[in-house]
Amino acid sequence: MSAVRFSKVTKRYKDGPKAVDSLDLDIADGEFMVFVGPSGCGKSTALRMLAGLEEITDGELSIDGQVVNDLPPGDRDIAMVFQNYALYPHMTVRENIGFALEVAKMDKAEAKKRVDEAADMLGLNDYLDRLPKALSGGQRQRVAMGRAIVRSPRVFLMDEPLSNLDAKLRVQMRSDIIQLQARLGTTMVYVTHDQVEAMTMGHRVAVMRNGVLQQVAPPQELYLMPANLFVASFIGSPAMNLIRAAVTVSGDVVSVTIAEQSVRLAPGAVDRYPRLRDRDGAEVIVGIRPEHFAMMGDIAADDDQMIDVTVGLAEAMGADVHIHAELDVVPLPIDGAMVDPDADVEGLPVDKTPIIARVDGVHLVAMGQHVRLAVKTHLLHFFDPSSGEPLR
Amino acid sequence: MVESTMTEREPSTDEPDGSARRTGRDIESQLRLVVIWHIAGAAASVAMLVLASRTGTQELPATIGVFLRVFAIASFVAHASAAFGVSQRRRWGRTVSLVVSYLTFVVAAVAAIHQLGGFTAIGSLGEGLSKAVVPFLVIVIGLLWVLIAGQIATDRPTAPGPRLLRRAGWVVAAIGAVGFVIAADPSGLVSTVLERIVQPVTIATIVFAFAALAATRFMWHRDVGRVFGTTANVERTLTGLAFLSPNLLGFLFFFAGPVLFSLVVSFYDWKTTGTGRTFIGIDNYIEALSLDFSSAPGPNAGVEVLKSNYQVLMHVDWFGQNWVIGARDVTFWLSLRNIAIFLLLAVPLSVLPALGLSSIIASQLRGMKIFRAIYFVPSVAGVIGVAIIWGQLFQSTVGWINYLIKRTGDLLPFVEAPAQGQAWLSSDATALLAMVIVFSWMSFGFNTVLYLAGHQAIPKELYEAAEIDGARTWKIFRRITVPQLRNTTFYVLITTSILALQLFDIVWILSTPQPGGPDNATMTPVIALYNEAFKDNNRGYASALAWVLFAIIFVFTFAQFRRDREGATGGMA
Amino acid sequence: MSVKRKGPRATATRVATYALLIGVAVLVLFPFVVAVSTSMKRNTDIYTYPPSLVPRTETTVTDPERGFENATVYSLPDREGQYALVEDDVPIAEFRLVDDPDTVIARPPTDGLETDRTVVVDGEDETIYLLEVDGTEVDAVRSRLTVGGLFEPLEGDGDPVVELVNNATSERVFGPRFENFSEVITDKNLGRSLTNTVLVTIMVVVGQIITSILGGYAFARIDFKGRDKLFLIYLGSVMIPFVVLIIPLFQLMLQLGWTDNLVALIVPFMFTAYGTFLMRQFFLGIPKEIEEAALIDGASRSTILWKVMVPLARPAIATLATFGFLFAWNSFFWPLVIINSGNPDNGLLTLTLATLGGRSSTDTNLVFAGAVLAMTPPILVFLFAQRYFVENSASSGLK
Repeated sequence: MSAVRFSKVTKRYKDGPKAVDSLDLDIADGEFMVFVGPSGCGKSTALRMLAGLEEITDGELSIDGQVVNDLPPGDRDIAMVFQNYALYPHMTVRENIGFALEVAKMDKAEAKKRVDEAADMLGLNDYLDRLPKALSGGQRQRVAMGRAIVRSPRVFLMDEPLSNLDAKLRVQMRSDIIQLQARLGTTMVYVTHDQVEAMTMGHRVAVMRNGVLQQVAPPQELYLMPANLFVASFIGSPAMNLIRAAVTVSGDVVSVTIAEQSVRLAPGAVDRYPRLRDRDGAEVIVGIRPEHFAMMGDIAADDDQMIDVTVGLAEAMGADVHIHAELDVVPLPIDGAMVDPDADVEGLPVDKTPIIARVDGVHLVAMGQHVRLAVKTHLLHFFDPSSGEPLR
Repeated sequence: MVESTMTEREPSTDEPDGSARRTGRDIESQLRLVVIWHIAGAAASVAMLVLASRTGTQELPATIGVFLRVFAIASFVAHASAAFGVSQRRRWGRTVSLVVSYLTFVVAAVAAIHQLGGFTAIGSLGEGLSKAVVPFLVIVIGLLWVLIAGQIATDRPTAPGPRLLRRAGWVVAAIGAVGFVIAADPSGLVSTVLERIVQPVTIATIVFAFAALAATRFMWHRDVGRVFGTTANVERTLTGLAFLSPNLLGFLFFFAGPVLFSLVVSFYDWKTTGTGRTFIGIDNYIEALSLDFSSAPGPNAGVEVLKSNYQVLMHVDWFGQNWVIGARDVTFWLSLRNIAIFLLLAVPLSVLPALGLSSIIASQLRGMKIFRAIYFVPSVAGVIGVAIIWGQLFQSTVGWINYLIKRTGDLLPFVEAPAQGQAWLSSDATALLAMVIVFSWMSFGFNTVLYLAGHQAIPKELYEAAEIDGARTWKIFRRITVPQLRNTTFYVLITTSILALQLFDIVWILSTPQPGGPDNATMTPVIALYNEAFKDNNRGYASALAWVLFAIIFVFTFAQFRRDREGATGGMA
Repeated sequence: MSVKRKGPRATATRVATYALLIGVAVLVLFPFVVAVSTSMKRNTDIYTYPPSLVPRTETTVTDPERGFENATVYSLPDREGQYALVEDDVPIAEFRLVDDPDTVIARPPTDGLETDRTVVVDGEDETIYLLEVDGTEVDAVRSRLTVGGLFEPLEGDGDPVVELVNNATSERVFGPRFENFSEVITDKNLGRSLTNTVLVTIMVVVGQIITSILGGYAFARIDFKGRDKLFLIYLGSVMIPFVVLIIPLFQLMLQLGWTDNLVALIVPFMFTAYGTFLMRQFFLGIPKEIEEAALIDGASRSTILWKVMVPLARPAIATLATFGFLFAWNSFFWPLVIINSGNPDNGLLTLTLATLGGRSSTDTNLVFAGAVLAMTPPILVFLFAQRYFVENSASSGLK
């Protein structure tokens, strides 16, 4: 059906920075592509350019090989679901869903059939004659979806469609959308700031930051092979711990020294980051996901694959415990590139790096307690401190 | 071409005629027609220029002749460049062609309607309406019916009843319309139109209008835009201007143009009777504003101590010295004096009660909305009706005001009521005061509502805090309400002053024996201007007076503008 | 202030507050009450002292035995009882007593017996008449001959009396005269003015709504080149008062041949910067996504405007219509300038009323009937559209 291609697509506002900078991206026919990133990263702008709601400053955007740069939205054969649904307040659900068909001057009987089909699919049959104001949030959301699918467009665009729903409904709608897309097989471009949505929904996920595409990959690859520090810190919750460390290479053995504690790396880690060997004596940034810590004894680990910390705060989440601690290392500069952009960075000590470890929930951990954490060293990540590039 | 990939989809064009996509060859051949159209347009412009030059001086007033010539030249240039741009497929060619064709359409259509008497026929429509009042009322009832049924239909979209009801409303309105046409008897109008439509000039104009319309519609088409490589930016600008155009053309023709014209006229000795128009620079302004101060030997000194052309405006006694102030235009200066007094009296009288009453109404006691509505009524009732009522109230022998004053006097034995009723309107001591009363009575309700909005913006916590501090009502009013309403007060003062400066209608109806009387006691600048312009036909001088008045009003407007800027809270309303 | 207190002091305050509000309300409403009552009065009833709010009518009596048919009942000066006016143009002579020239006696001319004596009054020789007063004959001079009324007493068998009708006071009871309204419409041609005003108002309002919707939408939602500069010019135009426009606009109407025609009251006023702002502000408040959704649904700009934006903008349109209505209905200055030939067929309510109620007005009752007719529609519109009205006036003050 319909493939979408961004080719050096750039958006620059008057006197402003580039909202989207030279975006290159191919979206395959039938693919569920998620754009994710912190607010202001350009993901919505990219979507709106695809919709035709924003002009393209530079580059070429094509759908099915047809350049659509100057095609008005209505001629692009796309459908979009907005964050606030943007239902027509004065039209009933039926009129809302059927509006596009009415505009296209479709035969009335045919239009009615299609509206009924769409309503059927979304379970809206009982609400067709209501006005949007008489609907619940979830119902409105479904009407917005119905408005999109009734046209059988080439591409679905969704701009944070679930963010106005409460948590429970969001989970429900998430799976509904996945199933719907699978059933219709229509190309979907989905924008969200929620990495859980991104990871669970997309065939592939495009991570953006400051208008620049950081990485496009299937969700698992993003998690396992982040293309840079930003992706590493953005994907995963709680965020990956990024710690300055010194590398020591002696023969086949590579170890890193984190806060004066030496951690020997399993061979698997070095295989994934071969350039680590060239960094003997140099400083690197070690990325340890919280879940790649474990309480000593929970996993088989050698003595030289552990670090000692003092518990600053222990959050019992049920299945696991989040241990907050600090390491005596100069933290990374506060820059979107290096730390989780959502983290509260104020009041951090200048010579302490906070870390979070996620350990099994059976452990009772108290504040001030000294604990010894095992590190799953084969799963660590390593980045160049100046460029933020992975040492692959 | 990109179109080929799109043919499999349903056409989603939103052209009003729903016409299908045009093929490239169609467009090419029709573009040739457009070029021919523009050449014809250029030729017509030349014809117009020749016509205007030949007959201009005899048949048409000079201003129109000049205007026509300028217009013809501009039209020629525009059409010629459009023809070139379109034939060369320049991107700007389409834009120019569109603009030119559209404007040509507007001008030709307006001219055609003008020639057919369509505009002046509105007068006949007035006659028709007077003959067909009953059918007209039927139409109104039908439309109201539709509106109400429509409202019900939106509230309960499932019920079929309201929709049927609504259709019935349309039927009633349609019956009314048919009745209207029959009763209004448009046969005379139709025959006039038929008579005029056969004239060659009219036919040519109509044909021209239709050609321009066709060209506009064709060039507007998106596929044609694509041939010219249009961008979304250009499309948007064209769309924006198209939407704005009815408004903008009216604005230019009936506002901006006349305002500029007025400014020009004010520098001319422009009388509509007698000798023509001569440019005299700022003489009109000098005439209006000149004053002469002369010390005078005694309190009764007159014109003889003043420069020639000056008349006595007033006598004053400054530090034991008698002065005579003279002015060239005594009436205008008197009107300025009057309006200054009027302003000083009427503005506080219509603002202060509003401030007090709004504070009471804002307290949300029961029934406040009713009082708010009552107070508002005078400002919507219409100034003529109101003035007529007050004329009767002020009546000296049987008027209520004198009667009530007398009754009050009877009740209070120590007050001696005047034996003879006060002649409010015909005595120059009280005439202006009477105007002040009427003006204040009319405008304080509107100001009250303005103040109420200001009250809504005061944070309730302020009052609560004051209550806790034990402040009394009066203190709260003085220390919280009044300061918090400072912005509203400023706005109300300014708008009321601007309104007061243009005082006309009330005085026109109430003053006696002629507008501005007695003895110029109620002469206002606008009445002076009216007299100059339409009684003495001294339009140049009257225009200068208008601009002087504008300058005075502008002081007030500018003050408001400055304040808006300072306290800009966003929004341009 | 929002806190409701209790206790005698608070009650007293509340009573005083309401008293003040009601007092002002009376001040506001009283002139209207006077207008309504005057519009239903007879003209003679208006010019009586003391003024009255009650429209009164003369009482009549019908008594076929005595030959009264709808005879008006009067009381006469210096006479007791009530009298019926049976004939109103009988000849009357006014006599003055020679001994007491200040006493004027009205009698049928035949009551005075002409003598051949004369007396000098104001340097003129006047014939002396013999007149019977209270049973004695006295000398009198006849000061003038006129016509007056023949009054018969309602009770008793007293003789009929002649008296000048002006000197007699009619007995009045409540009786509104609704014919004033029909008379002013037909006789004073106010009907035509009314239909003209309706026509002008409708066309101005419709025109303003259409141009304001289009212009407001363009300014609010279409980001075209030069939009902001143009908008600033529109904003600035509000600063220019109408007086500046009067003369050039009149000149323009003259050139177009539109003077003394209703079109001059309509077309120039179909474009309003104020209405354009109003619509712009409202359109700005409609979420942009709704429009974008429609764009994606394939709707053109005009479809969006008429099918999505305009239905949503109903409150703003109602406000604009209300303001336009009041403006057009009540406008006076421009019609006064442009409708200048005095042709009653081009009159507007305001103009006709101003002429009727002007300095030489005679039929005050009819003028007031006209004024009431003219004021009722705007007041009704205001009452029904109050919500839009008050809110908008209010927001304009919230700078």
